[in-house]
Amino acid sequence: MDAAEKLLIAFFVLSAFIALVFFIVARSTRLPVQPQAEASRFGYAIRGRWFIFLLLGLLGTFLASLPFFPYMRTASALQPALRVPVEAWQFLFIMPDHFPVNQRIIFEVKTPDVTHGFGIYAPDGQLLAQTQAMPDYVNYLDVTFHTSGRYFVRCLEFCGMGHPIMQKEITVGEAATASGRSSLAALDSNGVVTHE
Amino acid sequence: MNDLLTDKAAPGRGVMKLYLISGLVVVGLLLLAGLAMRASQAGWLPLPADGFYSLLTLHGAGMIVAMMVCAMGAIWFLTRQQVKMSAKLAVAAWALIMVGVVGVLVATLVGRYGSLYTFLYPLPFRGTWPNWSTGVFLIGLVFVNAGWMIWCCQMLAGVLRAHGGYRGALGWDYVWHSKSFAASERHPPPPESFPAFMVGLDGLIAGMAATLLGVALVVRWIDPQVQIDPLWAKNLTYFWAHTVANLIIYMLAGVIYVALPFATRREYHVSKVFVVAWWTSMTLTLTNYFHHLYMDFAQPEILQYVGQLSSYLSALPVTVVTVFGALMLVWRSGMRWTLGALFFYLGMLGWVVGGIGAEIDASVPFNVHLHNTLWVPAHFHTYLLGGCLLFVLGWVFLLLESRAASTTRKSMSWLISILMFGGMLVFLLSFYVSGAYGVPRRYSIEPAPGPVLSQVAAIGAAVMIVGMLLAGIEAWRLWRSRADLQEGAKEVIHG
Repeated sequence: MDAAEKLLIAFFVLSAFIALVFFIVARSTRLPVQPQAEASRFGYAIRGRWFIFLLLGLLGTFLASLPFFPYMRTASALQPALRVPVEAWQFLFIMPDHFPVNQRIIFEVKTPDVTHGFGIYAPDGQLLAQTQAMPDYVNYLDVTFHTSGRYFVRCLEFCGMGHPIMQKEITVGEAATASGRSSLAALDSNGVVTHE
Repeated sequence: MNDLLTDKAAPGRGVMKLYLISGLVVVGLLLLAGLAMRASQAGWLPLPADGFYSLLTLHGAGMIVAMMVCAMGAIWFLTRQQVKMSAKLAVAAWALIMVGVVGVLVATLVGRYGSLYTFLYPLPFRGTWPNWSTGVFLIGLVFVNAGWMIWCCQMLAGVLRAHGGYRGALGWDYVWHSKSFAASERHPPPPESFPAFMVGLDGLIAGMAATLLGVALVVRWIDPQVQIDPLWAKNLTYFWAHTVANLIIYMLAGVIYVALPFATRREYHVSKVFVVAWWTSMTLTLTNYFHHLYMDFAQPEILQYVGQLSSYLSALPVTVVTVFGALMLVWRSGMRWTLGALFFYLGMLGWVVGGIGAEIDASVPFNVHLHNTLWVPAHFHTYLLGGCLLFVLGWVFLLLESRAASTTRKSMSWLISILMFGGMLVFLLSFYVSGAYGVPRRYSIEPAPGPVLSQVAAIGAAVMIVGMLLAGIEAWRLWRSRADLQEGAKEVIHG
């Protein structure tokens, strides 16, 4: 089961639970009418528990999610990594087209024109990671490719009429291809890329 | 308040009708625009890129404004029952908004302006559309915002006058000094006053942010040498757009507080929990918008945490108080399932299910994989189309049913329900599935599996629109058959 299927199942299960509650309440209108005071007593008893359950669930989920935030810490930024500048233009990405597997890479994403998105799609079509490219700012995206193959970089922020064609194919693998070798060679020790 | 729906002489009906009818006409036209775009993505309707994106700009900006206008009309009418407010001022605010709508129509349909309703700086000035259309679009939105702010001022002033200033309108003494409050035989404001107060206050704050941004962009349009910080502009854009979109829902929550008690013949009680819940919503609505900027890693990091926590906590007042309270009203009430009641009930379901999709997207680790995919329109269509629009239609139908001499035939109710909700379900599901598989939003030509799912969505949308057309015909029939005797009409709705 891939990540998309898991996400959809989680969403459908939660939605189905809510729909079931609505269905049960709707069916109750066929039962003999209950005085409002009596119905309220019953409802308030459930509501208190529902509040505590929901509050704890939301706070717990918030805390559990913190380690997975994608923002780079100062300490983490100083760790060894291949630093790869990316320039997003209307409507192309200027960046190398081959990357090593299992190597930590920090993409330094910039744009000289309008706001773009920088989304990396894995070979199975899943959206692996993303950040925005915004004029006057640099967004740092920390990625390690664990699987070899063909990846796609797509613009994920509307940037004009050519937005849907703004994509680039990149490869990830142990052995660099001819074009990949040339693009990796273009990265110097500081990760500064010379555009081909 | 229960007689309000049947009372032909209730003040403010004319203003409400003006807002509701104009809003619904725009919604109807923009539903067709939405269908055209899904058909284009499906490969069934050839639309050039500039046509697609100008239509998308019109659809996004127009739908928010149209739904906002509908909700404004309904909550204004409810507030008008508590306090005298100038109908002329409300009509003037409406007229300003409509001038803005005409500007957006001209800019998009004639000028092919296409930087979407988010108009992220500096895109409005770096597109293929003519420069004049950028100016007309921006000035159009400034007019919309001017009308909105006038209306918000009127609402805020009205609620404050009706309930004795901020302390009274907020229910402050009712919560913190309950003994002396009860001893003085005072009563808290009715439930619909809280969303009315919230929209007045939060709407003004959002309007001020929009004014700041609007002026900056118009100045930049006049003088291209002017530079604006894109991150600042993006924060203001989403602060305004997100807050207004939320206020649409909250205004319509105010309508639920009147409509469901009418349909169930029960009372919606104001309690301390209810009041505190509305304070929470009033606050969190202003801080939720940060979740739109999760993928802007240049944004101060603390705001990303605030965004997620705030988005999570905003689910509490909705699900624990408003929706739960509404379910308590319906529980064993013997409510008759007229179309009006059904629309309200399923609208609440759409609100909650859309909220689940929103909460998933508002979790930063999920947002990495869902941001700007079709998951985003999936969840906001769920609570705008499957929530807000159903509340508006529910309100219109309850008003019509309460005065009609005949009810909707059972077979007709079933037909409308199956077409509308079946089509809506298919339409929304295709959005969710596309989003989960990473299909980007705002692509006139989508990568796989987008086109196939767009075909499914287009079929669902077409079926849903046929259902809505039938609902429109039924609404017309009910209006034509309205009863002159109000007591007779009450018997019809309550059986």
